[in-house]
Amino acid sequence: MTVNVDKLRNIGISAHIDSGKTTLTERILFYTQRIHAIHEVRGKDGVGAKMDSMELEKERGITIQSAATYCNWKGHAINIIDTPGHVDFTIEVERALRVLDGAVLILCSVGGVQSQSITVNRQMTRYRVPRIVFINKCDRTGANPFRVAQQVREKLDLNAVMMQLPIGLEADLQGVIDLVSMKAIYFEGENGEEIREAEIPGELLAEAEAKREELLDAASMYSEELMEAILEGTPTEEMIHKAVREGTLNLELVPVFIGSAYKNKGVQPMLDAVTAYLPTPNDIENTALDLNNDEKEITLISAAEAPLISLAFKLEDGRYGQLTYIRIYQGTLKKGDTIINSRDGKKVKVGRLVRMHSDDMEDIEEAAAGDIVALFGIDCASGDTFTSPDISVSMSSMHVPEPVISLAILPVDNKAQGNMSKALNRFTKEDPTFRTYVDHETNETIISGMGELHLEVYIERMKREYNAEVQVGQPQVAYRETITRMAEFNYTHKKQTGGSGQFGRVAGFMEPSEDQEYEFVDNIVGGAIPREFISSCDKGFQKSLEKGTLAGAQITGIRMTINDGSSHAVDSSDVAFQLAAIGAFKEGYQKANPVILEPIMKVAVEGPSEFQGAVMGSLNQRRGIIVGTVEEANYTSVEAEVPLSEMFGYSTVLRSLTQGKAEFTMEFATYKQVPKSVSEEIIKAYQAEKQKS
Amino acid sequence: MLKEDLIKNNPLGVLNPLSSESLPDHRMGLVMARAGLGKTAILVQIAMDSMLRGQKVLHVSIGEGLEKAKAWYEDIFKYLAEGFQLENAAEVEGELMRNRMIMTFKESAFSRPKLEERLNDLVYQNIFRPDIVVVDGYDFAQADYDAVMDLKEMMAAMNVQGWFSALRHREDDRVSAAGVPAPCHEVDGLFDTVIILQPEKEAIILNIIKDEYDSAAGKNLNLDPSTMMVKEA
Repeated sequence: MTVNVDKLRNIGISAHIDSGKTTLTERILFYTQRIHAIHEVRGKDGVGAKMDSMELEKERGITIQSAATYCNWKGHAINIIDTPGHVDFTIEVERALRVLDGAVLILCSVGGVQSQSITVNRQMTRYRVPRIVFINKCDRTGANPFRVAQQVREKLDLNAVMMQLPIGLEADLQGVIDLVSMKAIYFEGENGEEIREAEIPGELLAEAEAKREELLDAASMYSEELMEAILEGTPTEEMIHKAVREGTLNLELVPVFIGSAYKNKGVQPMLDAVTAYLPTPNDIENTALDLNNDEKEITLISAAEAPLISLAFKLEDGRYGQLTYIRIYQGTLKKGDTIINSRDGKKVKVGRLVRMHSDDMEDIEEAAAGDIVALFGIDCASGDTFTSPDISVSMSSMHVPEPVISLAILPVDNKAQGNMSKALNRFTKEDPTFRTYVDHETNETIISGMGELHLEVYIERMKREYNAEVQVGQPQVAYRETITRMAEFNYTHKKQTGGSGQFGRVAGFMEPSEDQEYEFVDNIVGGAIPREFISSCDKGFQKSLEKGTLAGAQITGIRMTINDGSSHAVDSSDVAFQLAAIGAFKEGYQKANPVILEPIMKVAVEGPSEFQGAVMGSLNQRRGIIVGTVEEANYTSVEAEVPLSEMFGYSTVLRSLTQGKAEFTMEFATYKQVPKSVSEEIIKAYQAEKQKS
Repeated sequence: MLKEDLIKNNPLGVLNPLSSESLPDHRMGLVMARAGLGKTAILVQIAMDSMLRGQKVLHVSIGEGLEKAKAWYEDIFKYLAEGFQLENAAEVEGELMRNRMIMTFKESAFSRPKLEERLNDLVYQNIFRPDIVVVDGYDFAQADYDAVMDLKEMMAAMNVQGWFSALRHREDDRVSAAGVPAPCHEVDGLFDTVIILQPEKEAIILNIIKDEYDSAAGKNLNLDPSTMMVKEA
């Protein structure tokens, strides 16, 4: 069963944590008749919302993994990617955005545009995702969708245009006025499934007409036909829809819808908007890299008969084995086909092809360009490209940030040991920002990722899904080391007593490199170091980079130049020159004034203004630099740059400082040199650690 | 070129009161122009000059977002660093930005008590003690003499100098005796320095119509319209 591409929408639902994304998704699935009863996110019925398929997510009331799900709305097929709302999981958000064609940005009508929405919006802009806004929770006390729409204009810099007006607000929310059809819409029946259209209430008519003017003004920018019709006084609904769609696809206009998913109001018109304004896969230009032509960018054609190009964007360990979510960009994927993984060239046979609906699935025979489906039993990693065997193309690689925090984990018993490695193996495949390795000196298993919560969630998943209980060490910040000035080296490695000897001399200089992690420059003339041993020097230097002498941290931002050396006809070897390079590095490194760098996080704290002083004080104490504050009515957000090492346990501190009324988000910003006093402590701790082992 | 040379060569330095010891800390300055002529650019350059001298700047932006204010500083610093071929620009920028804090207020949320409360939060906890406060976007058309006087008193009490921007409207041609146009024609007595930006053929002229301390005597300054950077004519 393939889907008509023009009637297909791949959309994401993105939002700040707690703005009701999962509840909205739940309602969408209900109205599209994918599910037949409504469960609340933090439901007392113990079932939980449909999209939060992981037990942990149910317990915490948050969505961690983006599950793809499929539904039908008025003859259109919609694939929904539920994306996580916490910054610690942004790789998931970014990967989901990559495979989407359009998105619904949900905002809370009370909280408005919060820091996470800004991050998500920035990501959507980077991936050029057309979006519509849904202002949720209009039934809540303090709801003000007009203020939120204004924030969308100011904080997100989007041309937000109200498509609806609320009829009543807060507890009095009754329905919405559609400014295109100029009708009042009410949601009746037990779950708001019956839609009743009526005349606009008299007292709202003037406001509705004024807002419609604004809408027409904005929309007419994208359609001359509409502009002329407005002048003649005869704009049709169809013309308005067309113009709004045009503006939305060009990322120049963002239509705004309102409602309350929890109270079953406004969801169906929003679904209408998804099908009316968000792009079909054909509206979006996708590109891939031609591996046979020096990775030249090629534009993909969303045609069913073209060779297959698809991207595995999500792996999940389901009850029936590994499930691979895949987005098809070109061609058709059929059950029984042989496809290749362009990363390693391995051939894979498509055994079972399914359409996913959260936990349930539906077997299908084939799927065409534009669609999102899942495969069973395919061994691959997230981000792999699958193509027809006759072409060699890769979807451009995704930007993957380096982890900034790590901690040691120790299985409590033998059984846990085996389960832990199974779990880690799976997690690292699913999430490129999650890494794991064994520290050879301490023999500990180290996991690293993008934040405290990021690692906490994996530790809990290990326990719940893999029955692997582990003891957790103190979180460690991923420090780096670098040099701050040029230094020369001239080192001779010599071991010529007994047996076969070793000899190599390496000379040159090291200097800071601003734009590269590591650079190797070979300025050897006249064969002072024989050609075959040049790469040995490079290897030796690279080995030295793994562990700096100050804090045992990775060394970055360094350029090594060799310009002299000597060799021995018999005793020089690959190993000898590697050792000479390591010695030379050590010699130069001491003189090059090495320093320790630490990850700095961009932290945003939002809460009632009365706590602003306390919040700033707490950030200041943590060596934070306060960049600025944004004050609005009674709500203030403080933005600061704070070293990650100072942010451990901050959520508890913030909660007690503000009676739980403030919240914070953080994301990695940059690496910066640590202050002298802190640097001395880190060095001391590292020396003590070395002494012990 | 090094940071020290940058301080010496920044033409706006002539306006910095600390460049001459006879000036009080709490001088009040005003930059006036029609929309889009570069009021914010001038304020940011005055702020940048102070930051280069190691003073701390509180940038108050009314009605604009944090990101926009930040972007102004980044742009102005970039032009400065490129124009003067500053060595170790990244390092200097990091150092400078420690001397700056931005507060943004909604138009409706800004008032003297609010600003004072925020400033006290910063000063008492020893987080940030500004030497100069620049206020961008203050609505002089809605403010009366007492409101501006109030702000001046507050700044004097805190011993900070204040720089304000004011938007001129084309249709309003009222002018004070000293030549200060509306909407500031009634409050001009509260300011020690008043600069008006005037577009000419090639550049935008900084017309210093009032300067109690005469620190910019004999200098002709204008604004390069492509970069919004101040230069000596």
